[in-house]
Amino acid sequence: MDTQSYCPVPPGVGMEENFLSLDDILLSHERLPVRTECVFPRLGFLEKSSDTQDIPEATKMELPLWLSKGLYERKRKVLSVELPKVYREGWRTVFTADPNVVDLHKMGPYYYGLGSQMLHFDSPENPDIAQALLQTFIGRFRRTMDSSQNAYNEDTSALVERLDSLEKVLFRSGQNGLNSFQSWEKGQASQLTASSLVLNYRKRKLADVQT
Amino acid sequence: ENESMSDSLSDDCVSQEEDVMTPAELISKLEEAWLNEKFSPELLENRSEVVECVMEQLTHMESNLQRVKKGDAKASVHRMEIDRIRFVLSSYLRSRLQKIEKFFPHVLEKEKSRAEGQPSLLSPEEFAFAKEYYANTETYLKAVALKRMPPNLQAVDLLKAVPEPCLDSFVFLQVKERQENIFVEPETDDQREYVVDLEEGSQHLMRYRTIAPLVYSGAVQLI
Amino acid sequence: MFCEKAIELIRELQRNSEGQLPAFNEDGLRQILQEMEALYEQNQADVNKAKSAARSDLIPSIKLRHCCLLRNQRCIMAYLYDRLLRIRALRWEYGSVLPANVRFHMSAEEVQWFSQYKKSLASFMRSLGGGAGLDITQDMKPPKSLYIQVRCLKDHGEFEIDDGTVILLKKNSQHFLPRWKCEQLIRQGVLEHVVS
Repeated sequence: MDTQSYCPVPPGVGMEENFLSLDDILLSHERLPVRTECVFPRLGFLEKSSDTQDIPEATKMELPLWLSKGLYERKRKVLSVELPKVYREGWRTVFTADPNVVDLHKMGPYYYGLGSQMLHFDSPENPDIAQALLQTFIGRFRRTMDSSQNAYNEDTSALVERLDSLEKVLFRSGQNGLNSFQSWEKGQASQLTASSLVLNYRKRKLADVQT
Repeated sequence: ENESMSDSLSDDCVSQEEDVMTPAELISKLEEAWLNEKFSPELLENRSEVVECVMEQLTHMESNLQRVKKGDAKASVHRMEIDRIRFVLSSYLRSRLQKIEKFFPHVLEKEKSRAEGQPSLLSPEEFAFAKEYYANTETYLKAVALKRMPPNLQAVDLLKAVPEPCLDSFVFLQVKERQENIFVEPETDDQREYVVDLEEGSQHLMRYRTIAPLVYSGAVQLI
Repeated sequence: MFCEKAIELIRELQRNSEGQLPAFNEDGLRQILQEMEALYEQNQADVNKAKSAARSDLIPSIKLRHCCLLRNQRCIMAYLYDRLLRIRALRWEYGSVLPANVRFHMSAEEVQWFSQYKKSLASFMRSLGGGAGLDITQDMKPPKSLYIQVRCLKDHGEFEIDDGTVILLKKNSQHFLPRWKCEQLIRQGVLEHVVS
């Protein structure tokens, strides 16, 4: 059982982001399909397809989530944000029909995180999106946690491949719990082991020497 | 039967309720504080009286151990007991330090806005440590980055940047004193709030926020 | 798009998910600060124009650049802060003297932060118990029981150990038992301590 000394800032809960969370920063880097509702003078270079000095009104383009959130205003016409395909009605039906079938890593990898963030854009479909996220999560949760408890020391890569990033975190903590329990059963828990951090540094040191 | 090497506690280590606390009671209090601190998402009130007494106790036990004949069977048991108590104490203090660092702007803010007569969250030593941690980190961030940024971006509010503890985390608890009419918030929109009685000795899994006051009062033990 | 360098810094750290410290990216940091300076200057020019020449149409672009400035600031803060957390972990996992290959990955200011951190920690530990002091960076695991391997020299029947388990002591059977429980039986010649 390793004493965890490195505790990174966790991602925010629900629709919130944590300012210092690396996960939230990476999540908000995801691109969204948007449409400009006004002109953006002198920023034409951001829009690769045309060669204008300004970004004209009604331009369809992709912007990262962080910028979309920053520019979006409920009352003013600055930007309208489209729902990415996976959150639209078609896919929502697929997910709720059999949530375990879907490869959420391919569809995401931040399926739940991005989905929650989409709720910031006041789509009339928000309640349905929220519901779909919840149902999908609940539908998959049971199998994810069961697998994490049974896969001790077995190759889990096939399972883990199809998990979204939030599910991966849960899976890993389930595995850690299982591993801790198993090693406690075997009496290994109080064995003094070199910290894994130290071992990782030693491995890299060797690698450095070899290059 | 494990005989404790510890005699009764010195006069300084008395509990507030009774005249004298036995060593066993002291260690029991330490273990309770340790578990609570370990499983609580937020930093709990400091128990520096317990810490000080336990350290005195350890010194006492160490010196007693010196007087025991080498090879005496009891020596290894008492060595174990000393090591075990020291582990629990260290682990307790580490838990606290970890939370102090993790939530440092909030911890200091709480301490600053504490009313007169309210018990302190931090021991004097922890308070010094927390202030140094804040100063060290703030100075670093300013020097390396913030001072090199445009004028309107040179300030970062650490209270907003560093997240607060998540009081909605779920915790396991054991009930020590029967509680009636504990108000539980609904989980989803279609649920309603309800009220539950907690029977003595029963174990539950609940949101920390719901039972936080019961942890402070000692009515429940986190496990 | 702006802020591409900023996300690169974050990805660097994310690649080291176990908490190791990659080399400090001084170049990357400098580039982001330069981008911030450029964005700020463009915005200053546009803000002046917007006010003096009543060019309110410039406002969306001003807002966009401001979002980029905030994004760069956030990425830099998160990068530096996460590295401090990794450096902090080094004090607890490695000790107060860091190996050279780790130190090479730290900036001068990070080394300074680390030095201050360990001083604070040392001061705290010294002050525990009214000045008696306690090194809480030790005792990271619960103490192991003192068990020894024993072989049974003669039949002795059932033997109960502390947790209620009952062992059958048959001649030549071997067992792994708490030391203090065995001492007497060893003295009596019932058990023999097996040293491997």
